[in-house]
Amino acid sequence: MTEKWNITLRVSRQKDTENQHFDDFKMEVNPDEYVLDAVERVWAFMDRTLCYRHACHHSTCGACGMRVNGVEKLTCITPIRAVTSNGATLKVEPLRNFPVVSDLAVDMGAFYRKMEVVSARAVLPITEAEIENPATNWPQNDAQFLRLSDCLECGLCISACPVAATSPEYLGPAPLAAAQDVGIHRNPELLGIVDCEDGVWRCHSAFECTAVCPSFVDPARRIMALRTQVIGAKLGKLFGKA
Amino acid sequence: MTKPHAIIIGAGFTGVATAHDLALRGFDVTVVERGDICNGTSGRTHGLLHSGGRYAVKDKESAIECIDENTILRKIVPQVIEPNGGLFIAIEEGDLAYAEQFIESCEECHIQLDELTPQQALKLEPNINPKVLSAFIIPDGTFDPLRLALAFAGTAKHNGAKFRTYTEVQGLLTDGKGTVTGIKVLDRASNKSQELHADVVVNATGAWAGQITGMAGLDAPVKPTPGIMVAYDQRFVQRAINRLNVPGDGDIVLPQRRMVVVGTTSFDAENPDYIPVTDEQIKIMLDRGSELIPGIRNAKPRGIYMATRPLVGGGSGRSIARTFKCYDHKETHGIDGLVTITGGKATTLRAMAEKTADVVCAKLGVTTACVTKETPLLSYRQYYTIPN
Amino acid sequence: MNNQPSANKFWAWFNPMGRQVGGWAFILNRITALGLTFYLFLHLIVLNQLAQGPAAYGGFIALTENPIVKLGELLVVAAAIMHGLNGIRIIFTSFGIGVTRQKELFYGFMVVALVAILFFAARMYMG
Repeated sequence: MTEKWNITLRVSRQKDTENQHFDDFKMEVNPDEYVLDAVERVWAFMDRTLCYRHACHHSTCGACGMRVNGVEKLTCITPIRAVTSNGATLKVEPLRNFPVVSDLAVDMGAFYRKMEVVSARAVLPITEAEIENPATNWPQNDAQFLRLSDCLECGLCISACPVAATSPEYLGPAPLAAAQDVGIHRNPELLGIVDCEDGVWRCHSAFECTAVCPSFVDPARRIMALRTQVIGAKLGKLFGKA
Repeated sequence: MTKPHAIIIGAGFTGVATAHDLALRGFDVTVVERGDICNGTSGRTHGLLHSGGRYAVKDKESAIECIDENTILRKIVPQVIEPNGGLFIAIEEGDLAYAEQFIESCEECHIQLDELTPQQALKLEPNINPKVLSAFIIPDGTFDPLRLALAFAGTAKHNGAKFRTYTEVQGLLTDGKGTVTGIKVLDRASNKSQELHADVVVNATGAWAGQITGMAGLDAPVKPTPGIMVAYDQRFVQRAINRLNVPGDGDIVLPQRRMVVVGTTSFDAENPDYIPVTDEQIKIMLDRGSELIPGIRNAKPRGIYMATRPLVGGGSGRSIARTFKCYDHKETHGIDGLVTITGGKATTLRAMAEKTADVVCAKLGVTTACVTKETPLLSYRQYYTIPN
Repeated sequence: MNNQPSANKFWAWFNPMGRQVGGWAFILNRITALGLTFYLFLHLIVLNQLAQGPAAYGGFIALTENPIVKLGELLVVAAAIMHGLNGIRIIFTSFGIGVTRQKELFYGFMVVALVAILFFAARMYMG
C-alpha cells in the first residue's frame, strides 16, 4: 500500500503588476513524491493559471528551483516527506533576487549574463571532473572524454546569498565558482573580472550557497579557492613572473 | 519586401529547432509556449544521443536518421553533449542470439561498431554487470535536454525569433474559408488574451498535437506514449549502456551529471498533461537497470518521472516506428495555413525542423536552402541573456 | 515584481528564517559589528567626560557599578569575543583552511567564545 498524506500546498501567486499573495491547495500526496509533482498537479487539475519553470525532473537542468518553506530547493528532487509532515502546510515561493515573471517563474537573464561574463564551462574533460564514484583511474583512451559540468545554473545559490540580495552587480556564487573552475591560469582575463568590488572579495562567507547547492558545486569553497588564485596571480605579476 | 511570418506552437525540441531553421531562412518567427521552454516531453527526455543502434534491426529509417543527426549535433552543439560513446552489452544467452542481426543491421546503416571481449568491456566500464558475455561499442552519446533546446532557441533569438512563454493557445483564427491565419492566445503571466496573425502556423506540440489539430476539427495525428525514467544518485558509467536485445523496458542506462538514469517503459495514455508514476514501473526500472549495472540496487533514487513520446503511425507502443511526420494540412485535409510536425526523437530534432521548414517554405514560395547542418549554435545561455 | 536585488533590502541580512549555520554566523557577525560600532560612539562620548573635569568623570565611574551598566559592558565583551573569533574563522576559510568544515569551525569557536565570556562574567561580577 502506498502511503497517503493530506497536505496544503501554499503557493505564491503574482500576475503582472499585482502584489504577491498566497493560494492554498489542499491535496492528497504520496510523501515519496517530489514537491514538483505536487506543483505540477495543481496546474494539471486545480488551477491552469499557475506558472512555474521545470524541465528535466531529475536535477540535470536546474529549471525548477523554488523556495520550499523558506529554503531554496530543486523541487524535482525534494521528496515531500523531507520538507513537511502529514496534515501540514507546505509553502512554495519563487527564488529570491530574481525578477518574478509570473507566480513561481523567475527571469534568469541577469544571472546567465554573469555566467557568460566568466565564460563558465558547460562541458569539461572528464579527468577534471570531481567525481568520487567510480574511482577516477581513467583508462587512457577515456582521458579525452567530456562531461557536463556539475553546475546546473539553477540560481539557488544566488537566491540564498545575503550579499546577492543587496548588490545587483555582485557576480554571485555560481559565476565565481565557474571562474574558479575555468581558472585564472587558463583565462587571464578573469583576473580583472573577479578581482574587483563586485567580484571575489564581495563574498561575506555566509556559506548559504554551499548549503543549498543541489549539485555538489560547493560554491563557497570555490570562491575561497578563487581568492587564492587571485592572490597568486597578483603576486606573480608583482614579482614579474610570467 | 516584408518577411513571411511563422507562428510556431510549442517550445519543445521540434519547436525551437524549427524556429532556428526558419529564422535562418529569413522568416519572422514567433514561438508560443504555454509553459516555460521544454516543460513537456523534451525536458524529460532520457538524454540519449542515439547512434541508431537501438533501431538498426527493426527500423532502419530511424536508425539512419539517428546516426546522421548524431554526427551533425556533435559538430553544431558540442556545448551540451557528452560524446563518450555507448555500449551494447549481452548478459544472457538470448542476448547473444540477437548479436548477429545487430552487427549486420548496424553495418547496413553505417553505424560504426567495435566488438569487445567481456574483459575489455569491464575495463572500460568497471561497474557494468560482471556477467557480461559480449559487448559492442557504438557512437552513442548523452546530452543535456534543456540546454540542447536552449541552444537552438538562443540562436533563433539571436537571429530575430521571438519567444512567448506562458502563452497558451486558445483557438485558431481562420479567414472564414478554412485557411488558418493565426492564433488566439492567453498570456498566462498577465491573464490577457490576444490575437496573433501569421502566414503559417506550425503545430510543434508533440504529444499534444491532437489538441491543436482538434481546434481545426482534425483527428489527432499522434499517439501519446509515456514511459518512466528513474535517476539514481551515482554516476556508475561514463557511456550509454544498452541491453543488446530487442528494445524493451528499462534497457538503457545513461550517465547524467553525477547520476545514472534508467529508462524506460512504453504504454498508451489519453491525456499527456499529467501521467502518474506507479510503484510497479519503478520496480521494473530497478530490476532491469540492475541487470545492466548491479550497483543500482544500492543507489538511491534521485528523481522519478514520466515523459510522453509523441508517436506517429499505426500499431501501439514499441512497434510504432520512431521516425517523424510533417503534415501540410492543406494536402491532408484541405486546410491551408497549418502544418503539423510530430513523432521523431530528440536526436533527430534538427532533421525534423529541416523537413518542416522545407514544407513551410514550399507553401510560401520561399526558396532559401536549409543551412542548419553547417551552422554552429551559439551559447545556450543566449536564450536567457537576449531580451525578448 | 519586487524580487530583484536592491541595496535597501539590507534588513534581509538579519532574517534568520530558512538560514543555515553559515547564515547564522553571518547574522551574528553583522549584529555584533553593529553593537560594537554603537559602543565605539558611546565610548567616545564617555571619554569626552574627561575633558569636563574630575567631578563629571567620577560621577560617571560611579555609574559603572550599576548592574545594568555592568551587563551592558559584558555584552560589549561578548560581542568583541564572538566577532573576533568569527573573524578568525573567516580568515581561515578565506585562505582555504577548513572551508568544508566551516560549520564545525563555527561551533568550535563559539564554544571558545562561551568559555571566554563566562570567564569575563565571573571576573566582573565576582572579582
